[in-house]
Amino acid sequence: MFRERIEQMIPDADAFFAAEQEWKSIRANTLKISREELLERLQAKYEIKEMPWYENGFFIIGEDIAKNMEYYLGYYHIQEAASMLPPLVMEIERKDFVIDLCAAPGSKTTQLAMMMENSGVIIANDISISRIRALTHNIQKAGAANCIITNYDARYFDKTGLKADKILLDAPCTASGKIIKNKKMIEKWKYWRVKKMARLQKALIKAACNCLTKDGILVYSTCSVEPEENEEVIDYALQRFDIEVEKIELKEIKTRHGIKEWNGKKFEWATKAIRIWPQDNNTEGFFICRLRKC
Amino acid sequence: MQIKKVLSSKEIREIEAIIEKNYGCKVGLHNYRVFMTGEEKIWIASKDIDFGIFDVLKRCYRIGIYFGKLKRNRKIKLSIEGAMIVGRKATKNVVFIDEKEAIKFIQGYDVRADKLINAEKNNFVIVKCGNAIIGTGILRDDYIENLVPKARRIVKIDS
Repeated sequence: MFRERIEQMIPDADAFFAAEQEWKSIRANTLKISREELLERLQAKYEIKEMPWYENGFFIIGEDIAKNMEYYLGYYHIQEAASMLPPLVMEIERKDFVIDLCAAPGSKTTQLAMMMENSGVIIANDISISRIRALTHNIQKAGAANCIITNYDARYFDKTGLKADKILLDAPCTASGKIIKNKKMIEKWKYWRVKKMARLQKALIKAACNCLTKDGILVYSTCSVEPEENEEVIDYALQRFDIEVEKIELKEIKTRHGIKEWNGKKFEWATKAIRIWPQDNNTEGFFICRLRKC
Repeated sequence: MQIKKVLSSKEIREIEAIIEKNYGCKVGLHNYRVFMTGEEKIWIASKDIDFGIFDVLKRCYRIGIYFGKLKRNRKIKLSIEGAMIVGRKATKNVVFIDEKEAIKFIQGYDVRADKLINAEKNNFVIVKCGNAIIGTGILRDDYIENLVPKARRIVKIDS
């Protein structure tokens, strides 16, 4: 069923299933080191190349990239290349008040902290205490002093009454975009899981919309390719809240727009959202949509 | 996270004075909000964090980053990140180790110093390897006692 669904979504389904990832990706932590200095240090040990779409991102080849002094020192963070994109489209400014609703393990949170140069405030929230431990570790290691880690069920975060200029909702998902790293996920794929996640994602986006200030930006992302977890969730929010989709434009990376029609539902706005397909850039698959509160 | 005390400007100056006495440099902690939790642990956070927010955010797990622990003898055991902030300018209680020893240090072993900069025995020292500040230790008679937290050690590391 998964294959049929992919074939319905894109004309190059075979390429989707065949995509392989040779290079790992890392992000320089400019809170601790300049990208140039990191590059110099790592070039001596690994094959490394710059990421065309993000100046602080690098592709790297080598075993045990988490077992060297630079990693120990927090000079870089191992982060999937496509997962560096959601913070980049948030129009982040130094003094912003940001909520990262599902923050653990903290790759995007620490990227945001870095982009804000340790100024402003980031509320890094997660529901799971065990995942919060990883988040805490990564924030400390990154030297990100502008983060407040909270432990709320994000579906009810709006009950705190907090409002933010920028919200990142990198929602929990079925992670079908990770197929490039794990082909076995096809065997485990179940439609009921997609539906279950979609229900959760709708509850999360509802809370996120309630937490946005006027003109505030909400970036919704998942590493799933399922329209139920992406376009349908955005459509749900558009019908209930005074928000609009803003066009995302990224350079030096191949993106496609969102799915315009699925299960008889039409998503006219989907040309403004982006999908990163694994076969296009040899990254994980991602869906990213930027919403602004009117 | 149970905040015991948010430090006033005067109290921050006192911490800065202790750092200066121990590490021979002025560190601008005034650029941060500085607060303490139990066991005299010192934390630093962005100045943009208004602590009034915690009237609303009850389920707060952590704020900012751990800077170090104030000891009764007016010494500070710095975290790795604390050492990175202080170590850039430190002129006292600094030890240099070579790359081979640095690998052992990251693995959690005690190591031998290559060079000492105004380091006092049985005192906390900032450990450097070249330009990199790699943590803190205690300078003993003929070795540096390792203070890298277990969670940060990398047991199998590439040289």
